Amino acid sequence: MKKKVLLMGASGSGKTSMRSLIFSNNPASLTARLGATIDVEQNHVRFLGDLILNLWDCGGQDAFMDSYLTTQRSTIFQHVGVMIYVFDIESQGMNKDLEYYRDCLEGLKQYSPEAAVFLLVHKMDLAREPKNVVFEKKKRELEEASGEGAVTVFGTSIYDESLYKAWSSIVHTLIPNASVLSRHLTTFAAACSATEVVLFERTTFLVIATSSPVTPPSLPGATAEQTDLDRHELNPTRYERTSELVKAFKHSCSRVREEFHSLEMELYDFTAVLDEMTRNTYVLVIVHDPTIETAALKLNIRMARRKFEELQGDSLLS
Amino acid sequence: MVNGPPSYAATSTTLPRTQRPPLNGHKSLSGDGVTRTKILLLGLRRAGKTSIQQVLFNNLPPKQTFYLETTMRIVKHTFDTVIPLEIWDCPGNITVETLGAPLSQFATMIFVIDIRDLYNQPISKLVEFIVAAYQANPDMSLEVFVHKAEKLQEDDKIENFRQIHERVSDRLLDIAPEYEQVQLNFHLTSVYDHSLHEAFSKVLHKLVDSLPYLEDLLNVFCANSQSPKAFLFDTTSRLYIATDASPVDSATFNLCCDYLQMLNSFGTLYKSAAADARRPLPTTPPPSASSTSSPSRGPTASDPGTPTGTEGTSTPNATTLRPSRDLFYPSASTSLHPSTPGTTLTYHLITPQLALLALLPTSVYEGRRGLIEFNVVFFREGVQEISQVEKEARTGG
Repeated sequence: MKKKVLLMGASGSGKTSMRSLIFSNNPASLTARLGATIDVEQNHVRFLGDLILNLWDCGGQDAFMDSYLTTQRSTIFQHVGVMIYVFDIESQGMNKDLEYYRDCLEGLKQYSPEAAVFLLVHKMDLAREPKNVVFEKKKRELEEASGEGAVTVFGTSIYDESLYKAWSSIVHTLIPNASVLSRHLTTFAAACSATEVVLFERTTFLVIATSSPVTPPSLPGATAEQTDLDRHELNPTRYERTSELVKAFKHSCSRVREEFHSLEMELYDFTAVLDEMTRNTYVLVIVHDPTIETAALKLNIRMARRKFEELQGDSLLS
Repeated sequence: MVNGPPSYAATSTTLPRTQRPPLNGHKSLSGDGVTRTKILLLGLRRAGKTSIQQVLFNNLPPKQTFYLETTMRIVKHTFDTVIPLEIWDCPGNITVETLGAPLSQFATMIFVIDIRDLYNQPISKLVEFIVAAYQANPDMSLEVFVHKAEKLQEDDKIENFRQIHERVSDRLLDIAPEYEQVQLNFHLTSVYDHSLHEAFSKVLHKLVDSLPYLEDLLNVFCANSQSPKAFLFDTTSRLYIATDASPVDSATFNLCCDYLQMLNSFGTLYKSAAADARRPLPTTPPPSASSTSSPSRGPTASDPGTPTGTEGTSTPNATTLRPSRDLFYPSASTSLHPSTPGTTLTYHLITPQLALLALLPTSVYEGRRGLIEFNVVFFREGVQEISQVEKEARTGG
């Protein structure tokens, strides 16, 4: 199954940088070497085995934008699953950016009315203090510009975990049966006496599903149920921090021509095992019970592998 | 694999206090009653002295060093690792006269030069300090960090490094031929990669009197565990205190450094509010980014095997040195592919500040994990005994 993902935004807003970071395992420090994208760069990224993300990285210079909106209009905006529009937080020409953005929304509405729209307010590391005020102001401005269409806005930076948070929610909308995976992870967590189980995609280390019910970030008012997990008051940024940490370590491994394979930790505060679940996923099991050994967790993961391979196959056929 | 104990015993018997080199004048008693080894950090304004200190000992992200303010007066930072250190971060305009302390007090002088700064000024300043230091204490180790290496391309980097080296040597010779024998060590460093950690580790090695014994312990561990390489790291600063006899390859060191950084970050990430006090902890903070540089918290509170308030009580009872069985020491391992037969990188906390990182063949780690852990326990006891002796020498003497 193929999903088309449009990556749009003004020239120099950081589209290619984030693509290289998430999908090519390059560190943030190397993004300065990237040149401007000419026209559209298409990439097929195999994500979760049979799900293929067809990434259209659209160069943002005016000449290209004009052509996307006129002559190439139908090619660009047809069959879109997700459109990601990137704004530079310190952009000089916000009015022009917004104008192009509205035009793109128009095109999307015409050819792919079902597509989800994500807005990334990027380069948050460069924002002036107080950052959250600057971001909130920008967010309101963008929501106004979007009209009645539902959009999700994230503040991101390639230098911290925020980019993983945004992209994890984006791919979450593309996975057809994420809730089924979630339910099975909850069962698996109970079998391991684990506090939490998280499933990651293998190459990108984006979060696919977790054992706990995730309240969508777009609904801040949603009442979270008092679950067992709430008692632990775990760090709310833990998933994306994990993605970032493991990605960074994978990169260190690749520099010495090794490949990261698995990790187990018995630390003061918790025990954890990170291991392959299926051919294209990794699972992280977090346990707070000190009597549980990592070997037992590893055995459980091995036992669960077949079930999850099946589930993944099922979810992608539908 | 189990012939660890005899050789371990052999190394520890070489440690009677009488054979230790006497404490020199360059270690002085500081406020908390501990004799600290002093390191002088010099260099022109904006050379990167404070950045170096903050990145190494305060976990400052390298990108944030840009925002550091100019140091206006001497700041003394204390740091407790295998030995207690006191690092003097000096302002750029300091001179031998305005330092306010005799140079002979210092065990090491580190001079930081911006790699793009080939001009007269930093080199004159450096030469001035070298001459003064050499006269005050010919045994002081003199280190030059050619810093901000990331600013230049590979070729220019080597060229500038060589030029700075050459100019300093020439200038020293011009002053007097006797300065030819001054031992100067040059390091190419940058806060953006691990070169700074490697360089500072080498500086630190010269200050640790017990280094040969630690190295022996590591050699014994490696030989008995089929480990091709093992490091004893300080967990917060990610400096390596000692390693086994096999040559250090930068790539492996970098990997260990990154691994330690990842584990430090994971340390508190999944901390649970509901399940605290679940482990019988050694009386210390976890190996995370917590501040270890706070001066008041001396080593008296940080060794797991020490009875509290030992200051002055010079009764080194052998039983108190042994970690009791129920203390929990964090450990971790990661397996790497695809090199055959596969490598596992292990982490074992040894003392509250130090951790053993070892590369092991995956087959050995998986097949004979119990024996590896047995070896780690012996290694830990050895290192703890050495730290104990070191501490007694510094608080009692």
